[in-house]
Amino acid sequence: MFDDLIESRTAGGAASNASAETGDTPAPVHEAHPQQVRCNHAVAYDFRAVAIAIVGWILPGFGHALLRMWGRAVTIFLTVGFLVYLGTGMRGNLFAPGGDDAFARLGYAADLGTGSFYYLARGLEPSGADVSHADGDYGTRFLATAGVLNLLAALHAYEAARRRKA
Amino acid sequence: MTGMVPLHLSHFQSLLLFAVIISLAFGTLGRRDPLERLKYAAWSLAMFVLVAVALGWLMYPFSR
Repeated sequence: MFDDLIESRTAGGAASNASAETGDTPAPVHEAHPQQVRCNHAVAYDFRAVAIAIVGWILPGFGHALLRMWGRAVTIFLTVGFLVYLGTGMRGNLFAPGGDDAFARLGYAADLGTGSFYYLARGLEPSGADVSHADGDYGTRFLATAGVLNLLAALHAYEAARRRKA
Repeated sequence: MTGMVPLHLSHFQSLLLFAVIISLAFGTLGRRDPLERLKYAAWSLAMFVLVAVALGWLMYPFSR
């Protein structure tokens, strides 16, 4: 996006040079103040970064894929997907909205962190959770970890889109 | 959706599986150089397992 700014400035500079060579008076151009242009670009940058973070949250790894960070995109997709698959296979508890206590609500927030995979996990777990065994308890942690990891990845994609991180 | 294979793992197997997956993710996401990634993943894996086993032994006297 800053490249566009540089290109437009270069094009403007080239036009003024051309008018100086021909001796014509340059047409009045209503240019925006450079600081305002920079501010508009920053707003566009922020909007793009937020959009990338949301997309990355909905589909794990897709935010990084949009930033052409292929290795990280594949890693996030596979890690979150594998954790959700294992968590549901172990019959972990997938929290539903409207929990009775704070733990249930926090669990729901963590599970929802997996984005679209939350609904995939609901479909994968037709017989429901079974936390009476260690498997189910570990499965609950696997699902929550997948969600938190995906939220961290979405935050990383946001920071990378704002060019604060590589 | 059907065809989900139920998994029956022991505590240690579950712990190890969790540690391996998260260590690999941490290594890939946290470092850029391939060798650094491998080192960081190995370090994370060792720490996950060692701390979990140490905490397990620390809690052992209170389990009975």
